[in-house]
Amino acid sequence: MEKAVKPSAKTQKNASERRWGMVIDLDRCTGCQACVVACHAENNVPVVGEREAASGRTMHWIRIERYWEGEYPNVKARFMPVLCQQCTQAPCEPVCPVFATYHTAEGLNAQIYNRCIGTRFCGSACPYKVRVFNWFRPEFPEPLGEQLNPDVSERSRGIIEKCSFCIQRLRRAELDASASGNPLADGAVQPACVQSCPSSALIFGDMNDPESHVSRLALSHRAFRLLDFLGTDPAVIYLKGGETNV
Amino acid sequence: MTHTVSRRSFLKIAAGTGVAAGLNPTVRRVALEPFVRPPEEELPGKATWYASTCRQCPAGCGIIVRVINGRARKIEGNPGHPLNRGKLCARGQAGLQVLYNPDRLQNAVRQTGGRGSRHFEPLQWDEVLDQLASSLRGVGGGSEVAFLGGLMPTHLYPLVTRFLEALGSPAPVLFDLHSAMEGRTQSHDLTQRWFGSMELPIYDIGHAEVIFSFGANFLETWLSPVSQSYDYGTMRQGQSGGRGFLVQFEPRLSGTGASADQWVPVQPGTQGLIALGLGRIIVEENLGRVGSHREHAQLYRDVNVGAVADASGLPVERLQKLARIFADADRSVALPGGGLSSHTNASQSMDAVMALNVIMRRLGRVGGVFLPQQVPADAFSAPISPSPFRDLGKLVQNMRSGRVGVLMIYGANPVYELPRWSGFIDALTNVPLVVSFCPFIDETAVQADYVLPDHTYLEGWGYQVCSPGADRPVVSSQQPAVRPLYDTRSTAEVLLSLASRLGGALAQALPWPDEPTYLEEASAQLFGSSIGVIDARTEAGFWSQWRQVGGWWSAKPIMQEPELAGLTEGPLQVPSASFAGKPDQFPYYLMPYESIALSDGRGASQPWLQETPDPMTTASWNTWVELNPETAAHLGVTDNDIVRVVSPQGALEAPVVVYPGIRPDVIAIPTGQGHQDYGRFAAARGANVMDLISPVPEQEVSLLAWGATRVRVEAVHKVMTLARLESLDGEGRETVR
Repeated sequence: MEKAVKPSAKTQKNASERRWGMVIDLDRCTGCQACVVACHAENNVPVVGEREAASGRTMHWIRIERYWEGEYPNVKARFMPVLCQQCTQAPCEPVCPVFATYHTAEGLNAQIYNRCIGTRFCGSACPYKVRVFNWFRPEFPEPLGEQLNPDVSERSRGIIEKCSFCIQRLRRAELDASASGNPLADGAVQPACVQSCPSSALIFGDMNDPESHVSRLALSHRAFRLLDFLGTDPAVIYLKGGETNV
Repeated sequence: MTHTVSRRSFLKIAAGTGVAAGLNPTVRRVALEPFVRPPEEELPGKATWYASTCRQCPAGCGIIVRVINGRARKIEGNPGHPLNRGKLCARGQAGLQVLYNPDRLQNAVRQTGGRGSRHFEPLQWDEVLDQLASSLRGVGGGSEVAFLGGLMPTHLYPLVTRFLEALGSPAPVLFDLHSAMEGRTQSHDLTQRWFGSMELPIYDIGHAEVIFSFGANFLETWLSPVSQSYDYGTMRQGQSGGRGFLVQFEPRLSGTGASADQWVPVQPGTQGLIALGLGRIIVEENLGRVGSHREHAQLYRDVNVGAVADASGLPVERLQKLARIFADADRSVALPGGGLSSHTNASQSMDAVMALNVIMRRLGRVGGVFLPQQVPADAFSAPISPSPFRDLGKLVQNMRSGRVGVLMIYGANPVYELPRWSGFIDALTNVPLVVSFCPFIDETAVQADYVLPDHTYLEGWGYQVCSPGADRPVVSSQQPAVRPLYDTRSTAEVLLSLASRLGGALAQALPWPDEPTYLEEASAQLFGSSIGVIDARTEAGFWSQWRQVGGWWSAKPIMQEPELAGLTEGPLQVPSASFAGKPDQFPYYLMPYESIALSDGRGASQPWLQETPDPMTTASWNTWVELNPETAAHLGVTDNDIVRVVSPQGALEAPVVVYPGIRPDVIAIPTGQGHQDYGRFAAARGANVMDLISPVPEQEVSLLAWGATRVRVEAVHKVMTLARLESLDGEGRETVR
């Protein structure tokens, strides 16, 4: 029997050559919250209940911010999905005393849950307010625990968590690609939010690949980044609403 | 010669075939083996995907369910499905919490302490079916069986009608609040009047240049929100001809209105009048590039633009500007939305909106109005329309007079959804036997004698003919993704076993031994159709692919051009809408609206949906009252202050959300909360806006005028912190908590 051809170094991209990024087209976003629930389902994000939610302790890894503009009757509302911006110069990383928050080779801000001791320094340092804290032990009354995704670990009380760009999906796709020997195609891997988005407002891909959909969209004159002046160099790029691409 | 396969290459082959096969059909009858003894295709830790159909609303989106070790772990959109094209909304994602809900009923029960006692005693299925069969034998002569359903799955409807026909009972009555709020019955009637078809029209949002939406919240809950949102994305940024333009006419800025380029805050009940005024201007000034409008002059003979301006509060200049925007575009379309069905002038208003499409010759044109191509098989051809409201009234009358011997309720929660004056709950006391098929103990099940829990949709069989359709005929198939968790039984199976127990005409009418046989027979009607995507040589192969692919649809897009039938002769008129309550006692219009997460209340049992912030107010877990800042100031209340909303019919208390996007004379309250039962996540939370809805004297009997109530608002000087994502202490700045 023939020996299987091992993937050569030429066809396989090194993980460190990638820069995972997301483009959010605000002109397409309808604020429908599909991404929010998809993220809860994929990443075992707990529900905190009315009382804790009223204290601002909801744990959504992605949220839709709504901004009012103007006054009645000339009033407009705009939506902006906000998730971890996966900064290149991440303010959350240097403040962690136990190195639970670190930078991966692909430029992601990762969180190692079993290192986290719950100082919440990273949450305070984050200018985007996307890190959420487990104030209590998450509860899943039986049999609700069956919904949990076995690819993602559950977090316990006292731990900070946040959007990981669905790292479990990225790793799986990379492993599958290296097993099959085919390079990872653009759009072949999508975080749960991107996959569910009904109006295709979220697009995900490799920013270092000039041919990828995200790279091409990032060139739009509508592109901007959140709180860009802070110099965090985020991997999430927003496209302004209300205008046409040229 | 021997040929040995090493373990390693066996696994490779296994993995390869798994990928090639893609999605899996479930084993024909027994859903799945318990994973103590895993079935052959199950590898521990390896995901299996089953294609099925979402049942969180009647749209019929295709889903794929990720199953690991016999447990469903994630629901995603089916990328091959022509309706939702791989996308899924928040409610669709939350389907796992229907399946794994801790408050599901685990077996058939009888309420032993009398209705409303909530003392339930478990029963064996055989016992229940025997008891039910003997009750059904007693039906006849003066009494009949009545069936009240929500908009039920298309595979179940024919079974129910055959069942009732064989018993000599009237056809099922279909009513649910979601359908009422999207104006589904009125939309069916609209196409019937204009095009002589019972199908719902398809509005080509994706290719339209200008969309005028009259109260259609098509990005939230109206008809087929995922498909429409997909097309909306295309309309915004995916067209070669530039960005589309959306104008939303509604009294309260909805989530859809927030995505619009222009919001026109119209006086409640005048949307149809505005459409009429726009039409008159277009015809009078001969706007647009469609040639002469002479033949349409007749339609607008009685319309006075000045009177329209006075009644709607929109100046004539604004109307003229809007008419030009609509007429000058090459591809414009007007949507008659669910909001129109909330008023007494619903059908005339919808006519006025559809007339805009007709005069601009948008029928059967790209970016215009189409009718779906019918699925080429009898089993799938007749669309199901919810019953007119008068049918519900008749049912209540029959219940009250004792004509109804047995009442069966499926997929509807009338005790929660109907206002008290409908008389439903009072008439219920005169019905000797009430049977609910709800998988939960909801408000209606509490008033039932027997609850025979159906499977949840991830455990059950079925199909759904997508209506409104995609760009082609679609039947979406449903199959069990997991083995039923509890001792539940599908309602179709219950009807089939009752038929075989009772024998005679009933057994002849429902001859199938079980539900999959019935479905296989129905699906076989499409076997050999030349236009379908399924390429199978045998019927068995077709049935297998039907489940594997997620249904049947044509390989290429096909839609019909609607042909005008009648009506266009006479002039159009929109009478003014009537409201319950005198303006001096009840100064505000009440506008209930459908929650994007909880829908008409059926989502309230799912914690993910409860915690999903409302897109516009960022509030969750409760009910709130939306007031214009001016109105709030006038009443001396602000965010989180509790107010009492009083209508001629009832009252409720809820905290205020100061909402800049609403007319000062309108207050809005979302649906979905205020359950007394329906599990721990839903019960005793918020208030039910349907308690306020009052009967309108001039009400057209074919609809429940859910937006025709006037209310007053009183401060009660109590405060409650509503769970909101947005912080309110930022001195007017919006900040995240």
